[in-house]
Amino acid sequence: MEGSNKGVVPLQNGLEITKSQKYYSIQWLWQSQVGISILSLILSLILLLSMSLISGAQPFAVLASLFEGAFKGKHSIVSTIKETAIISLAGLAVLIPIRAGFFNIGGQGQIEIGALTAVIVASNLQGSPAVVITAALIAAMAGGALTVVVPLFLKIKRGASEVTTTIMMNLACIELVSAMITGVLKDPSAFYGTTRVIPEANRLPFFPQDLGVHIGVWITLIIALIAYWVMKRTVFGIYLKAVGSNREAAKASGIFMNQVLGVAVLAGAALAGLAGGIQAMGVTYKVAEGWSKTWGFTGIPVAFLGGNSLGVIPVAFLLAILETGARHMQAMTGVPSALVYVFQGIPVLLFVCLSAMRLLHKKTSGA
Amino acid sequence: MMESWLIDLLLAALRAATPLIFCALGILMAERAGVLHIGVEGVMLAGALAAIMGTVLGANPWAGILSTMAAGIIAGIILAFISVLLPTDQVVIGIAFNLFSLGVTSFIFRILAKQLQVLIPAIPPLLFGLSPFALVAIVITLAMWWFLFRTGPGLKLRSVGENTHAAHASGINVVYLRFAVLIIASVLAAMGGAALTMGWVRNFADNVTLGRGFIALAAVYFGRWNPLLAMGACFIFGVGEALAFRGQATGAGLNPHYFLMVPYILTLLVVGIAGQARGPRDAGKPYLRR
Repeated sequence: MEGSNKGVVPLQNGLEITKSQKYYSIQWLWQSQVGISILSLILSLILLLSMSLISGAQPFAVLASLFEGAFKGKHSIVSTIKETAIISLAGLAVLIPIRAGFFNIGGQGQIEIGALTAVIVASNLQGSPAVVITAALIAAMAGGALTVVVPLFLKIKRGASEVTTTIMMNLACIELVSAMITGVLKDPSAFYGTTRVIPEANRLPFFPQDLGVHIGVWITLIIALIAYWVMKRTVFGIYLKAVGSNREAAKASGIFMNQVLGVAVLAGAALAGLAGGIQAMGVTYKVAEGWSKTWGFTGIPVAFLGGNSLGVIPVAFLLAILETGARHMQAMTGVPSALVYVFQGIPVLLFVCLSAMRLLHKKTSGA
Repeated sequence: MMESWLIDLLLAALRAATPLIFCALGILMAERAGVLHIGVEGVMLAGALAAIMGTVLGANPWAGILSTMAAGIIAGIILAFISVLLPTDQVVIGIAFNLFSLGVTSFIFRILAKQLQVLIPAIPPLLFGLSPFALVAIVITLAMWWFLFRTGPGLKLRSVGENTHAAHASGINVVYLRFAVLIIASVLAAMGGAALTMGWVRNFADNVTLGRGFIALAAVYFGRWNPLLAMGACFIFGVGEALAFRGQATGAGLNPHYFLMVPYILTLLVVGIAGQARGPRDAGKPYLRR
């Protein structure tokens, strides 16, 4: 949240040279944004493992089974990679709006709506697969962006906090999707609520054909790179930072704040919708009851600990390992897989706490 | 015929509103003291689980109430430590706490699944078909109004929310007061969770609160940070929820999921109407001694 404080802290050069290398690395962990991210991830992992003690399992066995579930065999590795793509997009969906000062907690609803629109387009549109797939992904993005229009409007026009409105949109969208898949769009031959399966031709193609990694993963990577470039190297990125960090100054310097905010929020929501579309067209091939995990919320720790559009990817990878390994962990050690959801909240709490402690420390040490 | 239908609806509305009223009071008190209480959903969830755990494991509703209070106090201490003692973004803390609580409650619920997957006995209505929870909620609302607007400590509390540094200059210990208020507010929110599980649905499920903490937030904004108005707003949401259940039961040929959307759409509408409500001026700003 608070921008990186590079160069603000005097380095106390004379002192540091005389300290040992070990002390130096602790300093680095403490003083850089990346260091605090790593520190809070490690601490949360330790907490996670000690919580597994409650249900009577060996922490090391838990850790081993998590990694085994995520990496043993080609199939697990591929699903971990696919999961990383979804979580990265969910993270970007939080990260980009938050740069402009809009906390998008509505990722889950945007993902669900995006997936549903993608499935509708992919199963009903006639044409060559390339056209249909592109259209479906664009429709997913449009669907995601559409769900954030109401919160955005209420924020800009009525000054309503997005925290309540995006959560309400989340819950309303989930009910809407449930209504659709048990009602109008239900597959008549199924016993539970689900859409029809997307025709084989209109599914996301695998890129290295024999590996089983669909092109959605590569799309995600490209989007993360583009987002990084836009935020670091373009005028829009500077505007975004200005609007997010100091509204008064941004206004005074003639930035059209609402436009910048609107573009960032719509882009974020569109990426969440795309995440849903990619998951529906590349992995599940349908939207059914309980088809999704809570990726929208997983995006929150990813955005905070990742810090920028490229940092999102390693954090998403870590969380993807936990999510894909969770079922194997439950089977092997008997620890409920719900344990990994503890990991959605704790890292953010620790990250914010450690950042605040550093701030206090700096103030009191008279920097 | 018509009258009994109306009375039934109003009773159902009050039952649905009771958890919201408890939470709204907690939010309101914290925000009057200048702390945004977004984590209320998580506290509510913890209270909801603790209530069921206490009732089942202690085989006594009072044990449920006690463990709810304990859960509220623990949650309050965690939240107060993070958002009062440290200069953090209270919105982020609240959301992260909600996620944390969602994970922890699901985890504990899975571990104790064998014992906890039961319907606890219903709590008998006390007066005019009102549950004890509803009566307590109404009494606490009136007491909160009296405390905030008619007593000295209430004035001090509000002054901390309006202008922290002026309050500090006048000799109020801001950190101490906010810490205490956040713990009380969290106990209230946890009681909201207990009112939901013990007083209404009678069992626990993952994410049983379903955004009610956020609906209570909207009720506080709509009620302009006044306990009585906030209670009225909660009652409106309760009517919406009761109507949704009626519609769901009678069917009317519509998919039940459309009726379940009603409270959320209603909340969006209310937030839109409430708009730029001006809350306590220093709410959400971390306090650092100058």
